Amino acid sequence: MVDETVRILENNRINDKYYKLVFESDKLSRNVEPGQFLNVQIEDGYDPFLRRPFSYYRIIGSRLEILYEILGRGTGILSHKPPGSDLTILGPLGKKFTSDIQGKKRILVAGGIGLPPLVFLAERQGADYLLIGAKSQREVMPAKELESVSAKILYATNDGSYGEKGFVTVLLEQLLQQENPDQILIQTCGPKVMMQAVMDVAAKYKVRGEVSIDESMACGVGACLGCMVETDKGLQTACVDGPVFGFERIRQRLA
Amino acid sequence: MENVLTLNDVDLSVRLKNVIFKNPVTVASGTFGTKDEYKSCVDYSRLGAIITKTITVLPRRGNNMPRICETPSGMLNAIGLQNKGLQDFLDNKIPYFSAVSAPLIVNIAGETLEDFASLIKALHREKKVVRAVEINLSCPNVEAGGVSFMKKRERIRSIIQMLRSETDLPLIAKLSPELGDVVEISGEVLEAGADGLSLINTLKGMAIDIETRKPRLANVTGGLSGPAIRPVALRYVYEVRKYYSAFIIASGGIMTARDALEFIIAGANMIALGTSNFVNPAGTMKMIEDIAKYCSDRGIKTLDEIRGSLVTPSTQTNCSTAY
Repeated sequence: MVDETVRILENNRINDKYYKLVFESDKLSRNVEPGQFLNVQIEDGYDPFLRRPFSYYRIIGSRLEILYEILGRGTGILSHKPPGSDLTILGPLGKKFTSDIQGKKRILVAGGIGLPPLVFLAERQGADYLLIGAKSQREVMPAKELESVSAKILYATNDGSYGEKGFVTVLLEQLLQQENPDQILIQTCGPKVMMQAVMDVAAKYKVRGEVSIDESMACGVGACLGCMVETDKGLQTACVDGPVFGFERIRQRLA
Repeated sequence: MENVLTLNDVDLSVRLKNVIFKNPVTVASGTFGTKDEYKSCVDYSRLGAIITKTITVLPRRGNNMPRICETPSGMLNAIGLQNKGLQDFLDNKIPYFSAVSAPLIVNIAGETLEDFASLIKALHREKKVVRAVEINLSCPNVEAGGVSFMKKRERIRSIIQMLRSETDLPLIAKLSPELGDVVEISGEVLEAGADGLSLINTLKGMAIDIETRKPRLANVTGGLSGPAIRPVALRYVYEVRKYYSAFIIASGGIMTARDALEFIIAGANMIALGTSNFVNPAGTMKMIEDIAKYCSDRGIKTLDEIRGSLVTPSTQTNCSTAY
């Protein structure tokens, strides 16, 4: 874990909803695994006060990318930072997605801004399917953002404007009906409602998997105990014990 | 105070009874984890002291989620004293801290005199590692043993008196204005046998999500911390220092050496960084360096030269020849 001040290289809007921020860090780029996150100090002043957690999206050489959506004041201010400005970041934080998939087919299920760590995972380790849920076509990623993902990419949109109409779990269920559940591993990140639905489908088909849980955080290092998740080992922190947990370990409804 | 000194000439140490802290910088209870969470950013042995997260006799699960929420220049928390209990502390934390040279101050809370008795007896036996005890009398987020419970003054008095009868370890009472008149209660805890005061704990506050119309914290209310409460904390240190010479650990939104120096000038002996740790994990390390630099630049050899040295309008008038 390093607390480092980096320089923003790029910070651009890439579709109706998402922004991509690029910076350089030799130290960080060598140690980051898909599923881990960083805690960004938005301003040197005290408002917004707390750091903001973001998943890593892509690492090429010493160049790191994060993908974000404006969800409040912090990300709003971040979106106005020009290239050349400094940003203080603490990372890498948290546990990674497992890379030990024991020859199974990997199905990645992303919803909304849960996509970045799964793209990172697919690029690094490969996957068979990347299922993406979005509200509408306007939130669909530009093709070149996903061109280095070798997995078969399927979309579901709430309004049917792109890909399958409905929730991403519809796509997941179609796939699971065709596959041998013992030979599948699901890894998912997205809104809590979606992740719960994915876990419910997985339970129905007896498929194992991992979920990346995003809770409000203050410290990111397991000190404040603000981001607790109910697990088989009792309350655990999303920031240090997670954010990635096996489905079988979760002992609460996520939504 | 005019000559510039080298950093080596500056002695930042502070003393509480027989415990010497090599500098005045410590961490507020509950903001620094339970063991080595900050080890990649902080050299624990360089801290003036380490104050633990509150320990209770039995493990506590803490409150439901959500437990934290950001507010302007601060945050609300309602963790609810989640901890693994006394036995885990003795078995797993004491051995770790025995290898850290910074003195350990253990923060404790209880619901009954018996709770406090069990805690103090166990900690007294660990005197080699435990160098002082901070008593959490002002947690805003639990019922029994929390700030409302402690509003009954005789409870506080009997707790301090009992602790005093069990140990010669320095006892520090952590107070907040939620308890009532801080100056008055400071006097009472000192009279009951406390050696020092921790001023202040969080202030009770709340926030509401206007879309769902739900409170942002499952506990509805929580403790407000961060720079938002710093002027309030400073005022209490100043007011208590006017009446009492006891050792004061100041806390409340202290982020930088500049903030810390305000508190020292108002009369604080030590400075606890709390919420600051969440935002600037290495803030304590920088603060130690910056306080030393402030002193060396101004020819200040020890913090005694500036502690409680506030120049108030009335003291100014006494020296003024302007009329």
